Amino acid sequence: MKKTLTINLANQVFHIDEDAFYRLREYLDRIEAHFSDKDERSDIVSDIETRFGELFAQKISPQKQVIILQDVEEIIRIMGDPAEIGGDEQAEERDYSASASKPKRLYRDPDNRVLGGVCGGIGQYFKIDPLIVRIVFLVVFFGFGIGLLIYIILWIVVPEARTTAQKLEMRGDPVNATNIGNFVKDEFENVKKTLKGKKR
Amino acid sequence: MINEKLLIMDPENVKAQMRKGVLEFCILSLLSKGDGYATDLLNKLKESELIVVEGTLYPLLTRQKNAGLLSYRWEESTQGPPRKYYALTDKGREVLKELQSAWKGLIDSVDSIVNQ
Repeated sequence: MKKTLTINLANQVFHIDEDAFYRLREYLDRIEAHFSDKDERSDIVSDIETRFGELFAQKISPQKQVIILQDVEEIIRIMGDPAEIGGDEQAEERDYSASASKPKRLYRDPDNRVLGGVCGGIGQYFKIDPLIVRIVFLVVFFGFGIGLLIYIILWIVVPEARTTAQKLEMRGDPVNATNIGNFVKDEFENVKKTLKGKKR
Repeated sequence: MINEKLLIMDPENVKAQMRKGVLEFCILSLLSKGDGYATDLLNKLKESELIVVEGTLYPLLTRQKNAGLLSYRWEESTQGPPRKYYALTDKGREVLKELQSAWKGLIDSVDSIVNQ
């Protein structure tokens, strides 16, 4: 038994398995991130979605009403990787320069929090274990009494990393199509693991 | 970063570059014989092995449209959603003419070198 989702692809309704949906979502996100020009991007993505719809329609029959992961994988192979589709070398180069000129940013880490994710974020920024940051904060709190104040100020001032791009910036990874793809995949794996854990 | 020299030595990559160069010309040629929608074009280009992955076509169509070489209209379809039909504009026809003579010139030049 598998959970399915209902999606609207180019104004057509499809039932799609959950894993297939995430694979499709990740692919379309990467396509979108690959094209830097806004006017171009919406046209290209909607054309590609329309083609997906066309190919999906060929995959379903009264005997098989759901799009499965295999279908999505097969169609992605037909469509090609964003890098293969390419034709946009300038965007790739811009990605490189953007990542070079954009240093890491300090964010609060919502995935690694006790209170506001301040220590988690600082840990990410300096690439140290957040536990050490927490201990230092506690020592400063009890030793000098200002730790709590600093924490609250940071909580207010430092923004939370909400989007995938912000989370990549927080880790210091360049924000590009491949990294967004990997990140979404990781997130999905995590969700799957937690769900499996809960079932037991 | 990508090492250009390494890429050029790879015959697969050279072939891909060759295809890429003539693809835009071929799209314009196909559309000069009659309006078409993306999947028609895809089937023809795949038959003649000019396209390996389908996704390649869409950015090219969009760019040619944005450059004023193509226009499109929506047409109802008996199977599935409405389709985007592309047509050559006057500007597209001019560019096609230019490319046709450039292509003939290129074939002659390459032939004269290869058959020397």
